[in-house]
Amino acid sequence: MPAYNEEHSIGGVVRNIKALGEGYHAIVINDNSNDQTSLIAQQEGAIVIDLPCNLGIGGAVQTGFRYALANEYDVCVQVDGDGQHPTEKVPYLSKTLNEEKYDLVIGSRFVIKTDYDISCMRRIGIQIISLFLWLSTGVSIKDPTSGFRATNRKAMGFFAKDYPQDYPEPQSLIFAHKYRFKVKEVSIEMKNRMHGTSSITSLKAGYYMIKVLLAMFIDLFKKP
Amino acid sequence: MLRMQIFVGLISLAFFVLTFELIRKRVLREEYAILWLFTSLFIAVLSLWPRMVPLISKITGFYYVTALLLIVTVFLIAMLMHFSTVISRIKDANKELTQRYGLLELRVREMEQNMPS
Repeated sequence: MPAYNEEHSIGGVVRNIKALGEGYHAIVINDNSNDQTSLIAQQEGAIVIDLPCNLGIGGAVQTGFRYALANEYDVCVQVDGDGQHPTEKVPYLSKTLNEEKYDLVIGSRFVIKTDYDISCMRRIGIQIISLFLWLSTGVSIKDPTSGFRATNRKAMGFFAKDYPQDYPEPQSLIFAHKYRFKVKEVSIEMKNRMHGTSSITSLKAGYYMIKVLLAMFIDLFKKP
Repeated sequence: MLRMQIFVGLISLAFFVLTFELIRKRVLREEYAILWLFTSLFIAVLSLWPRMVPLISKITGFYYVTALLLIVTVFLIAMLMHFSTVISRIKDANKELTQRYGLLELRVREMEQNMPS
């Protein structure tokens, strides 16, 4: 769970993960927040990794993969610290991953129409990114920007070594394609953000999209 | 001509002293300083031997000031590219260190908690 200044929501998310029962551990990567994120997460019983510098979401998530790999976890599920992802679906994601032998399972907002509210600009942007992904790799993912995803040990291993830093969600799908992961997308109903604002506002969606496409394009040619 | 020579010479001297001072104060690492020392040396040669400019013009075919400007611009762009790669390398190293530090700190904390005190 990457978290940057999420003191208002992190406690609830950690509680929800702990409520899933035995075998589920809440691991928070505190990306050098300047609020009480780390303290609250620890009080709620999460394993907290405090980063001394702000690395951004990519670096934080990668730290999680490294931890999961080193501590012999079978499945690593990435969940936002802001409470927008339905934690009760975590077992569903990991079950899909395990039973159907996928390397990466993405909890998506669009596979079946759900009542998640998302701005029009963002939706168009996501569709263009999705189209680019399909054209360049032949992989059809409806919501490549979703940060609600499960990985097995194979995927963790690759991502621990090499994970995109700038726009990790869509870029990592190009990586996944290059490493020949078996990827599956499942529909998940998303809540609206409980606190804070998304790192992508609808005004900046267009600019974001161009940067993402450029980064993904370059990734296609990157040496492994 | 002489006045210009003196002027250019002073620039190169100032440049040289600045580079030297930055190395001495350990602000600048030697590996980058060498580049700047050579640059100041080049300017110095230019001031001591001004006929080098027409010679270069003859060799390269650039007869205009704008052409000289182009060379300088290319040099500067190359320098900036070089610095971008250096920054990228440092950022990667910083990321690696930050991640390892975070993971190690957690391990230390857990070990301390498990210690019977």
